[in-house]
Amino acid sequence: MEPIDLTGVLKDAPRGEWLALSWARDRIVAHAPSLTAAKEAAQQLGELNPIMMKVPPLHALIL
Amino acid sequence: MKIPFSFLPVQPDSAFPDRSEIKRPIVALHLTAGDRSVIFFAVVDSGADLCVFPASVAADLGIDIPNRSCSLFSGSNDANQLAYFEELQATILPMEAPNIDPNQEPLTFPLYAGFCDTLEHVGMGLLGQEGFFSRFKISFATMVAFAYLVMVAYDKPVRAYLRSKR
Repeated sequence: MEPIDLTGVLKDAPRGEWLALSWARDRIVAHAPSLTAAKEAAQQLGELNPIMMKVPPLHALIL
Repeated sequence: MKIPFSFLPVQPDSAFPDRSEIKRPIVALHLTAGDRSVIFFAVVDSGADLCVFPASVAADLGIDIPNRSCSLFSGSNDANQLAYFEELQATILPMEAPNIDPNQEPLTFPLYAGFCDTLEHVGMGLLGQEGFFSRFKISFATMVAFAYLVMVAYDKPVRAYLRSKR
C-alpha cells in the first residue's frame, strides 16, 4: 500500500493557520486563522466536504 | 478497513539531520454533533489514553466549552491540561489512495471526545485507548512501502460470547 504524501501540498502552507484541503488532498482550497472561517471559505469555493487540519510547526512531533 | 499512513513535512535537526518527513497513521473523521459536522484529520495514537481534539473543532460543531465534563491530563511535561468532553458521532471515511480498495465502507461509532486549547498547535485530533482502541482491533505495519493499519469492529456479540466462555 502506498502512503499518502502530504508533503507537497503542505510545503508552502501558511503555518499556524487552519487549512481546508480538497477531498483528494491534492490542494489547499482555503486557509484562515479560524477553522470555521477556512471551512466556510472552502465551501463557498465549491469544496463541500473539505478536510480540515492545521499545519503544525515543523518541529512539532507528537510524543 | 485499511488506511494508509500519511507523510508530513518536518524540519531536520541535529538528532535527525536527514529527516524531512514523518509518517503518521492519520484518518479522515467525519464528526457530527446535532446538525453540525466537520471532516477532520486525527492520528491513531496508541500512546494516548483518551480521544482529544483541538478546541476549534468544538467551536465549529457548536459545542460550548468549558462545560461540566472536564478531565485533567498531561503530555510530555507535568503541566496540567484540561479537556472538556462531549458525546459525538464519528465516522471514519475511507481515503482514496493507490492500491487501496475504493469500495470500503465507512465506519460509524459513538465517540466521547475531549476538546482542549493545548492541542490547537498540533492541528489534528488524537484517537487514543478509551473510546477508539477499546472499540476496534487495530494492527500496524509500519514499513515504508507497506504502511497501513487494519481495523475490525469488535462488536458486542463477540464480547458476550467471550464472557460466556469464562
